[in-house]
Amino acid sequence: MAYSEKVVDHYTNPRNVGSMDKTDPNVGTGMVGAPECGDVMKLQIKVDPISGIIEDAKFKTFGCGSAIASSSLATEWLKGKTVDQAMQIKNTEIVTELALPPVKVHCSVLAEDAIKAAITDYKKKAVAAPALV
Amino acid sequence: MDYYRVLGLDPKLQLDLNELQQLFYARSRQLHPDRFARAEASVRDAALIESSLLNDAYRTLRDPLARAEYILKENGFDIGLQGTKDVPPELLEEVFDLNMALEELKAGDESARPQLSAARDNFEAMLAKSSAELDGLFAEYDQHPGPEPLKPIRALLNRRRYIQNLLRDVHGYLSN
Repeated sequence: MAYSEKVVDHYTNPRNVGSMDKTDPNVGTGMVGAPECGDVMKLQIKVDPISGIIEDAKFKTFGCGSAIASSSLATEWLKGKTVDQAMQIKNTEIVTELALPPVKVHCSVLAEDAIKAAITDYKKKAVAAPALV
Repeated sequence: MDYYRVLGLDPKLQLDLNELQQLFYARSRQLHPDRFARAEASVRDAALIESSLLNDAYRTLRDPLARAEYILKENGFDIGLQGTKDVPPELLEEVFDLNMALEELKAGDESARPQLSAARDNFEAMLAKSSAELDGLFAEYDQHPGPEPLKPIRALLNRRRYIQNLLRDVHGYLSN
């Protein structure tokens, strides 16, 4: 099975690899894993508390090319979106964009889960320590 | 549960391996092709199919983990698919950190090596502990068969698989 060009591009040249301070109240961290292949994915968003816009997104994924490409693409899509818009990102959009074969669909599910986990974490923090406006 | 039926066993998670082997031998003799040399083609074919099922059954049931996965599958659980929700966050953190250490070692940073050995010992201890836990869960299922007692078994198998994959990688690097 050959990877699509887009997967190879994201895999060999992943965007937004790195990490942010997870204790920062404006940073939401999502950590998810897929035991069947041993993958683990960390995805972080940094949100402007006033506009609710995601200003930065970082990821680090240990896993196959499709898992790395899915999370890399996810961080690209997240930047500039509001938290609510980001919540609407569906794994099927990732599948389409990267032309993932059926056996790799779970990688896109993982990326969607990571996005949702990061947003949930951010919202939890925002409730605990409301931004000073 | 064809694997249990072909061996004449009740579908229990806890099995006596000696008994399992005896049953396998006895049933293998019954199904031996020599006994069907003069039988009708349809009977011979049926024995052949049963015999192949018997071999799969024995191979699966003698391994406790494969046995548990079989029971899970027969009960409609698809192991792995619900992975995310089944893996505790602390384990994910640990898996992540360990992967970071592995990556540093790959990049030639030898300072990660002691962290890796410590992590390996820790994960091996977790595996041993989970084996004991699994025995307890097996006994519980056998007393009250049904989907509920299978849930913690699935969760535990998912964790084990995670840990096993990692250990394989860690062993690989530490032996280099």
